[in-house]
Amino acid sequence: MTTSVSPPRTTAEAPAAGHRMPFWVNQRLGLLVLVIALGVLFGVLRPAFLDQRLVLFPLLRDVATLTVVALAQMVALSVGHMNLAVGRMAAFGAMFAGVGYDKLHLPMQAGLLLCLAAGAVIGAVTGWLIARTGGSSFVVTLAMDFALLGLVSLTYSALTEDAAFTTRPAGIDALRSYSLADLCLGPVCGSPAIPQLAQFTVLAMLGLGVLYGCTRIGRELLLTGANPAAAELSGIPTGRRVLLAHTLSGLLAALAGFMAAAGTGTFRASIGDDFMLPSFLGAVLGGTLLTGGVVSVLGTLLGTALVGVIRKGLDLLGVGLESLNIYLGCILLLALSADRIRTVVSYRKVVRST
Amino acid sequence: MHFATRSVLPGVLTAALLATGATACTYRNAPLPAAGQASAARHTGAGAELVDGAGARVALVPGGAHPYFRPWRTAGATVQKTYKLGAVTFDETAEWDQQKQNNLLSTLAARGYNAFGIFGVSPTDINTTFADLKSQGFPVASLGSCPAGSTDEADFCLSTNVELAAYKAAKAAITAMGGKGTLVHLTGNNVDANTQLRIKGVARAVRESGGKVGLLQTVTDIDTDLGTAQKAVSDLMAAKGGRITGIVATAYNPAVAAADAVRSSGSKAKVIAIDDDAKILSGIRQGTVTATVVQNPVGQAEIGTWALALLQTKQCTVRDPGVEVDSGSFVVTRANVADYDTARQARTARLKTEFADTYLSCG
Repeated sequence: MTTSVSPPRTTAEAPAAGHRMPFWVNQRLGLLVLVIALGVLFGVLRPAFLDQRLVLFPLLRDVATLTVVALAQMVALSVGHMNLAVGRMAAFGAMFAGVGYDKLHLPMQAGLLLCLAAGAVIGAVTGWLIARTGGSSFVVTLAMDFALLGLVSLTYSALTEDAAFTTRPAGIDALRSYSLADLCLGPVCGSPAIPQLAQFTVLAMLGLGVLYGCTRIGRELLLTGANPAAAELSGIPTGRRVLLAHTLSGLLAALAGFMAAAGTGTFRASIGDDFMLPSFLGAVLGGTLLTGGVVSVLGTLLGTALVGVIRKGLDLLGVGLESLNIYLGCILLLALSADRIRTVVSYRKVVRST
Repeated sequence: MHFATRSVLPGVLTAALLATGATACTYRNAPLPAAGQASAARHTGAGAELVDGAGARVALVPGGAHPYFRPWRTAGATVQKTYKLGAVTFDETAEWDQQKQNNLLSTLAARGYNAFGIFGVSPTDINTTFADLKSQGFPVASLGSCPAGSTDEADFCLSTNVELAAYKAAKAAITAMGGKGTLVHLTGNNVDANTQLRIKGVARAVRESGGKVGLLQTVTDIDTDLGTAQKAVSDLMAAKGGRITGIVATAYNPAVAAADAVRSSGSKAKVIAIDDDAKILSGIRQGTVTATVVQNPVGQAEIGTWALALLQTKQCTVRDPGVEVDSGSFVVTRANVADYDTARQARTARLKTEFADTYLSCG
């Protein structure tokens, strides 16, 4: 586990330096500006980019799901760990929801609870293994990923004909297709671009924002990530905090699995196959440190949105498969470089002024 | 180390309550919009000959990049030129992810494409995608693969009957093995409905042998790339090569890998492959591959695009929406390796007649 000698700094805390950095150094502000600028650029190049129903609604539904995936990774990163099984935990949780709907005929809410409970349990087992054995989170979560891959595949093969639970409980289609345009207050209706599915993301962000910004447990999680030895000497039960972080990570991964299933139609074994990379990308672009101790809930949303906007814009421009990932990589590198340049320039300004 | 549940419960309860509370909050109180599907105003007197295809902008969207779909690009371009369609595009950027494919389809719709020929990534989810597109008034064809289950929300499905193709391949293998021996089945993603159908097809052929042929192993999940397939086949041959008398490969990469492995190891196993990769055809000519079951991707793209243009221009409607049409599968051996494409082209021509006479209703 990597440690950090610097004190933890969360999104809710201001830098303690005597000379404050100018406001434009704020990484989240930079990301927000970049997302808006790219949105405007793509909107000018292809006005269809601003089509609320055909472009923005699916884009935001995707961003909503992937943000929860990135939050699941962010929670593990907050204690200096990583969760390589994030996609498989999503599949594991979704599988329980599928069993609940298909075999037990549960209502949607009960299936979701079962899904979250399964994710939390598998996350807790992972956290317990890491804390108990002192093993690397890389190795333990990788092993968990393989174990769940086999378990999920076997379960689907045994219980289904088409490797998917196709029973859809009442309400799940609405969750997939309803937007704020379906909500009206008198003659005023909401935007058709914002999916109602995003409520999960907003609530998860609020929950994590409160946890990390306003609670002692949140600060203890960050200190455990920044310097576990110091945290232990300060009386923080680091083992329990690791357990909590992985439990939350598993729970959020399961929530993302449920959202992905609701978004596409059925609960299938391949849910979460492509979650691992976006989980790191969103969190790290948003300012969460891989070494632990620093998280940014809002930044995670913005980092995920940046990737989504770039991809959607390139799709609209008709960029082929061969070029799409090259452009995506280049723009992300530029985004990271711009952030670094901004930080260096502002640091020099502060030094010059002292 | 002692773990107090106190440390776990707050987070779990908070998120669980938040998420559960949220499910009660999916509301609709806005008036329902009018149905997006326009009524079919038929042209009269034109039959199934496309009168004016300029308004039809057809998108052919496979689940991701795969050699099988290469002919779709050229076939689509040919149809565009032949029938003077507004546009035909081929977009393979879905990266085998249903969510990405859904996003890509909506993006293509925003770019002005108004008819869709789709190979769905997830056969169990694709009906939802089809229903979404249909609700917006777009004609949709399921090409290359039909949705799992008994319902098809697309206008029609034009695809290889994968279970039948796998059955034909296994029967050809059993015949080549002299009606007895040990068979191995190499195939793709285990958690894919089409793979399950292929497994069923092979199992049926083995069952019909009355116990004379045994299925030694079904190796799944090796169609991700050629390297993975080569390693799996090479491991299989090293471990059990002596016992294997027949190999049936029902996915592209394992088929190429099996042809290579048998050639390099000098095994006497009879290989039945799938599709007509140059290596497989060369193996058939040299005798290292006994036969291959080829599909009809050109026919799927050609007939699919043409029929979609007829539907989009409202010149025709589908008599039985969701009808499944077999695009054909052909067993190719050394005897017909030189001229099998003629049979395939004949099947494509027959498909066009079948669509005009049977599946479409034109004014």
